[in-house]
Amino acid sequence: MDTLKDYVYTMESCNHCGQCKWILGPKMKGWKYAEVCPIHARYHFDAYSGQGLINIAQELLEGELKYEDGLIEHIYTCTTCGACDINCKSIRDMEVLDTILVLRAKCVEDGRGPMPEHKEFARHVESSHNIYGRAHNERFKWLSKDVRLSEGARVAYFVGCNTSYFYPDIARNTVKILNAGGMEFKVMHSEEYCCGAPLWRTGQIEAAMKLVEHNLEAFKGQGIKTVITSCAECYGTFRGFYPRIAELNFEVLHITEVIQGMLKDGKLKLSKNLNMKVTYHDPCLLGRLSELYVPWKGEIKAFGYHEPPKQWRRGTNGVYEAPRDVLRAIPGIELVEMTRNEENAFCCGAGGGVPVAFPNFALWTASERVDEAKSTGAEVIVSCCPFCESNFKQAINANRDTIRYHDLTELVLKAL
Amino acid sequence: MGKGIAMRLPKHIYKEFENVVGPEYISDREYILAAHRHPTTMSMRKPASPDAVILPGSTEEVQAIVRICNRYSIKFIPTVSSCIAMALPNQPETVILHMKRMNKIHEINEEDRYAIIEPGVRHCQLKPEVMKRGLSYPVAAVGTGGSVLTSIATASGENHVHYSSSKTNRYLLGFEWILPTGELLRVGSLANEAGWFCPDGPGPSLRGLVKGYVGHYGGLGVVTKIALGLDTWKGPEVMPTEGHSPSYKVRFAQDRHKLFIFKFPTLDKVRDAMIEIGRAEIGYAVLKYFNATAALMATESANDFWELWNSGLFQKELARPLYVYLATWSSEELAYEESVLWDIINETGGERVKESIRLIYEDNMDFFVVVGTLQRVLRLGCGWAPNKLSADSIPHIFKVAKAIPEFMDEFIEKGLVLNAPDNFMIIPWEYGHLAHIEQLYLWDQNIDEFGKIPMVFMQRSLETDIRHGHHATMPPRYKTMMEKLGPLYSNYHVWATKIKEAFDPNMVSNPLP
Repeated sequence: MDTLKDYVYTMESCNHCGQCKWILGPKMKGWKYAEVCPIHARYHFDAYSGQGLINIAQELLEGELKYEDGLIEHIYTCTTCGACDINCKSIRDMEVLDTILVLRAKCVEDGRGPMPEHKEFARHVESSHNIYGRAHNERFKWLSKDVRLSEGARVAYFVGCNTSYFYPDIARNTVKILNAGGMEFKVMHSEEYCCGAPLWRTGQIEAAMKLVEHNLEAFKGQGIKTVITSCAECYGTFRGFYPRIAELNFEVLHITEVIQGMLKDGKLKLSKNLNMKVTYHDPCLLGRLSELYVPWKGEIKAFGYHEPPKQWRRGTNGVYEAPRDVLRAIPGIELVEMTRNEENAFCCGAGGGVPVAFPNFALWTASERVDEAKSTGAEVIVSCCPFCESNFKQAINANRDTIRYHDLTELVLKAL
Repeated sequence: MGKGIAMRLPKHIYKEFENVVGPEYISDREYILAAHRHPTTMSMRKPASPDAVILPGSTEEVQAIVRICNRYSIKFIPTVSSCIAMALPNQPETVILHMKRMNKIHEINEEDRYAIIEPGVRHCQLKPEVMKRGLSYPVAAVGTGGSVLTSIATASGENHVHYSSSKTNRYLLGFEWILPTGELLRVGSLANEAGWFCPDGPGPSLRGLVKGYVGHYGGLGVVTKIALGLDTWKGPEVMPTEGHSPSYKVRFAQDRHKLFIFKFPTLDKVRDAMIEIGRAEIGYAVLKYFNATAALMATESANDFWELWNSGLFQKELARPLYVYLATWSSEELAYEESVLWDIINETGGERVKESIRLIYEDNMDFFVVVGTLQRVLRLGCGWAPNKLSADSIPHIFKVAKAIPEFMDEFIEKGLVLNAPDNFMIIPWEYGHLAHIEQLYLWDQNIDEFGKIPMVFMQRSLETDIRHGHHATMPPRYKTMMEKLGPLYSNYHVWATKIKEAFDPNMVSNPLP
């Protein structure tokens, strides 16, 4: 795996231009909602930003900065939403988010990180293959007998920990939609372990790698060629983390892409009128951070030339259209956009292990996003990630807002 | 403490600052300071560490902080985005006044065409707000996260629409200014409680002290609120953006907006066309743009740049270009301006560049709105610096341009900088009263002693100016350079030093290195 030394070029290249903190020029819309980095928006100091974190990474690497009280908390406050990374990459050849993630890995390697709550993730994964410490044999408790599974299928629906234990409705909706569209698929049953996202993004790489190896072996053993997820975190992890460890021999699809395909092919028809005004929230790991990672080892030669050429993940080809196409296909739905959307979307606050370690900040971030959603006049926030759902619902409840949250699969099922 | 680690403020001084802003908005934690001591590509050396970062929330808080600084001889640097070297400490016992929290737009006066803003307002916030109202202002090419107030008042940058507007800091109207000693001064019509609309009088104007040619970079206190003048805007009310980063398309209505890029056989012909277009008072933007910078902005990675640059297309087509953007209220007006333009181009021997190049700009009209992609120049190994950065009459500035090979060839021959002798820009101001010149030179950080290149390059450039008597180099804020350039500019350095001593007797406001 990469170390901080692999990102010296990024660290040295930063010139404080501020692009990691502010919305891109072509996407600017006004005074409100112009900041893209949650930690910078909340805490204001430049150290709370992509720029600040890579400055810290460089000083730690060079021994100028020592671990002092508050540093670990500072590093782990970031939601790793990647807004800084994608904004920076719109103009630079730098890897801001990877530097932040490797900085966390260094903290773990040095015995300083992660936060105590994150260590629990690893402990639970070790004992029960999910980050919550719930019984592994209850992972598919939501699965009812009327769901048609095809045990010989090469397509697997990977449910994920959060959905399995806390948002089983998303799983139920997903399998019903797959059945309705005539998709032949299976689930991994006891072979499904956590995808590794919470461990990867808190720097616990060794523990995350074990999960990757297990899941890859399980997919291989069952001849899986396509993995469908209904969780943005799982999706982004399969495409963004797994290729760092082994070659990905299967296609990864999010349920929104599957539904989009079914609608296009006429396999699914959405006919019921839902009559609602909605706004769509792009989950970070389904939107800007969902591009396939292509390993690069090489040399940065004179004048920034990457030898061999590097395939950059700039957020260009995130899953932006599929969920919007699906929403537009539902009768009676009016889709309105938030100011910060697609690759500039503001994080819901649930990433990077923040909700367990810094619940107040996670709630603040979600509240900011809910406020933005309300500014569109929408009555419903739609997204497709159980982590986003959890955080948004908490914020809506805490603020006693009237806006509602729905997972996209829920609306699709209602419209069938 | 290790190298670069701050000597923190004595507890009682820290406490005094904390009493002003509250504990949430001050820090002397090393990891907080780390974000303000990282060298930028233009830093000649590693900055000193600040002793604390303070986030004031109001003019009164700024005033109180500045007074504490004077009491204890603590240097302060007011900053917002910190993307220039002058925003980083050059000596110990310095605190950073990070102005981010003071970010209100107080008013956008559509009738009298001005906006009143605080330092933390960014271009990506104000520009769309004024566009919605059919108004505009020239945005310095610092990126969308740059501070508007800084660009207008204290660290003026260049923009791509100088031609029909002006240098950014000539938009400064009334303003509120905390002097280096902590006194509050209201300048212009504001001083007489007559509103924000006028920068001068009655009585002597002090605007020049603050804005100068480029501004004082925090060397004369803190500007906490300004009014800036607004122009009318003939473009769309919202950015018509399509696509995803980094490949956005921003196209304007073709019946009222038209972009031309011409090439000329000589620089003299570019000059003649520029003068004539200004005389005819047609066009919204006119500029002789950089060619390597253009290639960097047109590509999405360093590798893509090299592919384009090695093809030789931009060197051939954009060595002596003239960009002309016509923005009009009607298609008839556009037809008239185009007709005048073609008369001038035919008389001066210009011809269109390849259509593929023009289309790059037609697809990215944000080039004339907010200039968010200029930072792409940093992709080439992160060594870059602007040179010259001054203004004079159009003919004088073209003489300056023609002298560039005299000092640059040596650097190119030794492989110290990118082989891009035509990578300079000349933009007329105010329909041609004068023109600005800026050269961007790029060097690779991997070559030996790369850190010395900008200083030596500037030195050679300066020698060329002195030899020819060219007014071409922006007077820099370095004592040694000021003394060398001073005689060319009416001994400005003597005046600047006296003004500094008079206004900042304790030398606490971002003193010179």
